[in-house]
Amino acid sequence: MSSWLDYTINGLIVGNVYALVAVGLALIFGVSRLINFAQGSIYLVGAYIGWVAVVQLHTPLPLTIIVVAVAAAIVGLIIERFGLRPLQNSVRIAPLLATIGISFVLDQLVMLTFSPNPRALPSQLPDVRFQVGGGTIGPLDLLIAGVGLTSALLLFVFLRYSKLGWAVRAASQDRDAAMQMGVDVNRVNQAVFGIAAALGGVSGMLVGMYYNQIDTAMSLQATLKGVVAEVVGGAGNVPGAVIGSLLLGLVESYGVAVFGTSYRNLFAFLLLVVVLVLRPNGLFASARQAPPEPLTGTFIAPSRPVRIPRWALAVAAAGFAVLPFFPVSFYVLQTLINAWLLGMLALSLTLVAGTMGQVSLGHAALLAIGAYTSALLSLTLNVPAGLAIIGGGLMSAALGTALISPSFRLRGHYVSIATLAIGEIVSLVILNWESVTRGPIGISGIPPLSLFGYDLISPTSIYWFSFAVMVVLALLQGRLLTSHLGRSFRAIRDDDIAARAYGLSLNRYKSLAFIFGGFAAGVSGGIAAHLYSYINHETFNTQQSILALTVVILGGLGNVVGAILGAVALVGLPEVFRIAAEYRILIYGIVLLLLVRFRPQGLLGTI
Amino acid sequence: MSNIDRRTLVKGSLAAMMAGAAFSRGAFAQTSEPILLGVSGPLTGPNAQYGTQWKQGFDLALDEIMAAGGINGRKLAYQFEDSQSDPRQSVAIAQKFVSDPRIVMELGDFSSPASMAASPIYQRGGLVQFGFTNSHPDFTKGGDFMWSTSVSQADEQPLLAAYAVKRLGLKKLAVLHLNTDWGRTSRDYFVKAAKEYGAEIAVTEGYIAEERDFRSTLVRVRDASPDGLILISYYSDGALIARQARQVGLKQVMCAASSVYSPKFIELGGEAVEDVHVGTRYFPEDTRPEVQKFIAGFKKKYNGQEPDAFNAYSYDAMNMAAAVVKIGGTDRKAIRDAFTKVKDVPSVIFGAATFDVATRRVKGAMNAELVVRKGQFALWDGKPT
Repeated sequence: MSSWLDYTINGLIVGNVYALVAVGLALIFGVSRLINFAQGSIYLVGAYIGWVAVVQLHTPLPLTIIVVAVAAAIVGLIIERFGLRPLQNSVRIAPLLATIGISFVLDQLVMLTFSPNPRALPSQLPDVRFQVGGGTIGPLDLLIAGVGLTSALLLFVFLRYSKLGWAVRAASQDRDAAMQMGVDVNRVNQAVFGIAAALGGVSGMLVGMYYNQIDTAMSLQATLKGVVAEVVGGAGNVPGAVIGSLLLGLVESYGVAVFGTSYRNLFAFLLLVVVLVLRPNGLFASARQAPPEPLTGTFIAPSRPVRIPRWALAVAAAGFAVLPFFPVSFYVLQTLINAWLLGMLALSLTLVAGTMGQVSLGHAALLAIGAYTSALLSLTLNVPAGLAIIGGGLMSAALGTALISPSFRLRGHYVSIATLAIGEIVSLVILNWESVTRGPIGISGIPPLSLFGYDLISPTSIYWFSFAVMVVLALLQGRLLTSHLGRSFRAIRDDDIAARAYGLSLNRYKSLAFIFGGFAAGVSGGIAAHLYSYINHETFNTQQSILALTVVILGGLGNVVGAILGAVALVGLPEVFRIAAEYRILIYGIVLLLLVRFRPQGLLGTI
Repeated sequence: MSNIDRRTLVKGSLAAMMAGAAFSRGAFAQTSEPILLGVSGPLTGPNAQYGTQWKQGFDLALDEIMAAGGINGRKLAYQFEDSQSDPRQSVAIAQKFVSDPRIVMELGDFSSPASMAASPIYQRGGLVQFGFTNSHPDFTKGGDFMWSTSVSQADEQPLLAAYAVKRLGLKKLAVLHLNTDWGRTSRDYFVKAAKEYGAEIAVTEGYIAEERDFRSTLVRVRDASPDGLILISYYSDGALIARQARQVGLKQVMCAASSVYSPKFIELGGEAVEDVHVGTRYFPEDTRPEVQKFIAGFKKKYNGQEPDAFNAYSYDAMNMAAAVVKIGGTDRKAIRDAFTKVKDVPSVIFGAATFDVATRRVKGAMNAELVVRKGQFALWDGKPT
C-alpha cells in the first residue's frame, strides 16, 4: 500500500514539471487561440541560457532565474513581433504552422551554438532530501512545485484584478470588440507572449537542473506533454492547465504501477482522448465560454485557387512519366519516389484536413498501420506485395477511421490534438504488442515490391509504380471533389451547423473522408514497407505527421495538385540544401516561415 | 575578313585544344584525388550528437592515416551526408552514393530503421555498407555487402552478466533497458546468460528513448526487492536512472552496459554514479598501444576532451575502412572481398580485429571490468560495493 503513496507523490512531482510548460501554453491559447508549438523551444532556450549563467557566469540561483526569465521573455517578444503579428489577419492555421517553423529555427540555433551533446546543468540548491513515504523529496522538487503553483496563482490574480489582465481577458473573449473598446490588442499579445516565454524559459532551466541534464532534443517532448496537459485541463484555462498536468502525471505514474514502464506514454495519450471525447473543451472549461471554434471552416483561407489547365497537368505528368528515359541519376529518382510516397500521404491529409476541415496531426499512424499490415500479410501469409499493399490500404482505412471516429464531434484545434494523441497511441501499441508487431525489434526481411509475379527492384520500376499509384489516387480524388460528395464535404467544412440543418449526417461524411484518406495513406505506408524491407515503430513518427501537414498547407488545403506539388517541394528542399549539412534544417525552417508569411493560403490556394 | 575570321577560328580552336589538354591532364591528376568514403548519419535531428561524435573519431583516424602516408600514397577522405537517421533520407543518400563512382564504400547509418532501409540499395548497387553501430541481429543478414564492427550483443552481454553475477555475487536482478531493437536484443542475451550463471531476474522494465522520469519505474523495481540493478542504457538515460534511483532511496549495486562508457556519464550522473560497475570494451588505463595512441591523440586534437564509446567506434571504423581499402583498392567488389582478407587490424575495441566471414561481424570484443570511483572510471579492484 505504501507503494501507492509513492506512485502518487511521483505522479505529482512529474505533473509539476509538465505544469511549467502547460501554464505558458494555456496563457497563449487563452489570448491568441493558438497552440504554440514553439513553447518547447523556448523551454530549450531557457535551459541553455541557464547553463551559461550557472556554469560559465556562476550566478546565484535568484539571479539565474531572473536572467533566464528576462532572456526568454525577449525571445518570446521577438517571436510575437516578427513571427506571429504579421499573420494576425491570415487563417488560423498560419500562425500554428509558423510556430512549428519557429521551433525548427530555435532548436537548430541552439544546437549549432551549443553542439548536440547533452550537458550537465547542476542544481544550485542544497542536496538534502526529506523522507516521504518510501521515497524522498528534495528542495528542487519543492521549488518546481512552488514555481508552478505560484505562477498559476499570480497569473490568475493578474488576469482577474489588473487592468492589463482585463485587457487580456477581453481580447481573448472577443478580439474585435476589445479593439473597438480601445484595448491595444498588440500590447496584450506582447505581454502574454513575454510572460509565457519567461515561464517557459524558467521551466526549462528548472527541469534541466532537476534531471541534471539538458540536450537539444528536449523541446518536442516538452511541447507534446505540455499540450496534452493543457488540453486535458481545458485549453486556455491557467488553473486548469496546472490541474491537468498533475492529473497527467498521476495517470502516467499509476499506469507504470499497474502495467509497467513501457506503457507510460500510452496512458498519457489515452487520458487525452478519453477527456476529449467526454468533455470536448477539457475538464475545466467554464460553462459560459462559447465553443472555441464555432466553425470548422475557420481553419480555411478564403482564396481563389490557382487553376492549372488540364493540358498543363497532362504535360507535367507525362514529363514525370518519361523522366527515367533521360539520363537522371538514381538519386534523383529515389528522391522523387520519396516525394510520390509523401504525395499519397498528403492526398490523404488534404482530403480530411482541407476538404473536410478535420486537421490531423497523427497521420503517420495511418502509414504505420498500412506498412505493418502489408509487411505482415506478405511475410506470414505469403500474400504477393501488390495485393498486400492494397490490404494495407484497406486496413488503414478501416482501423484509422474506427480510431478517429470518437473525435468526430470535436472541432478546430481539438481535432488536431486528438489525432496527435491517436498517432502516438498507434506507435506505442506497435511498440508494446509484441506477439503481432514484434515490438522494438521491428519487422525485417520484408519482400520487395512485386506486380503480377515480377519483382520491382530497380529504382526505375519502383519510380513508375509509385508514380502510377499516386496518379490514380489523385485522379480518383479529383473526381471525388467535383462530385456531389465532394461538395457535401466542403459544405461541412465551411459550416457544419448549416450542413447539419440541411440534413447532412456529419459522422457519416467524416467517416467517408477518413476511409478514402486512410486508404491512400495506408497504400503509401505499404509501399514504403516493401521498399525499405525493414520497419519498426520509429519508422513513421510524429515528425512525418507534421511534415505531411506542412505539405498540405504549403500546397493549399484541399488542393490535389497542391498536395503533390507541396510533397515534391518539401522532399526536394532538404535535398537541395543537403550541401549545407548542419544548417539545412535551419534553412528549411526559415523557408517555411517565409512561405507561411507571404502565402498563407498555400502555393495553389484552397479548393 | 573571312580569312581573318578563319584564322581566329583556328586560333580559338587551338586554344580550346590546349585547354582541353590541360583539362585532361587535370583529369589524369585526379588519381591523386582522395579515395572517398560515403558516410550516412545524423548531423541534425534527435540523434545529431552521435553524428558529431562520429566526425571526431573519423577525423582523428584520418589524421593518423595521412601521417602514416595515406592509402598507398593516396589521401583518404569522407563525404558526410546528413540523414537525420531517417529511413526516407538514408535511402536517397544510398542512391546518391551508389551512383557516385568516386565513393568506394559507405559507413553508417546510425539507427537500425535508417540503416536497414538503405541496405537493399547498397546490396543491389554493389557498394559495401559498413555499419559500425548496427547491432540489430538482422543487419548483416541484408546481404554480402553488409559488414559491421558493431559488437554482437551475443558476445557482450554474457560478459556483463558474468561481471554482475559471478564476480559481484548478485543473485536477484532488476533489468532496466532502452526499449529499442538494441536494448531489447541486449536484454534478452543478458537475461539468458544471467540465468545460466544462476541469478534470478526479479523484474525487467523497458523504457522509450525520450523518457526522463523514472521514479515510478524505480518504485516497481524496489517492490521486486532485487540486490542489483542492471542498466542497458546510453549514458544520458543511464545517468538519469542512477540519479533518480539514489534519490528515491535505492541503495542496490548498479551495473551498466558498455554503452554508458563516457565522461558524460559521470558529468551527468554526478555523485549518483559513484560505484556503478561498467563492463566496457576499452578503458583509458588499458596499456595496449592502440588505446593509448587513441586517447592521447584524441585529447590533443580536441582540447583535452576525453573520448567516449561512440568516438572509439567511429575511430575504429575509419581505421578498419582504411585497412580494407588498402587491400581492396578502389574497386567496390574488391573492397567487399577485402573484408574477408583483413586480419588483426589494430583497434581500440577489439584489440586485433578480424571479421568472422559467416556473420560478417568482428568477434571477441575486449572486456574490462570498471567501476566509477571518485568521479572517474577505474579498473575494478575486486571489492564489491
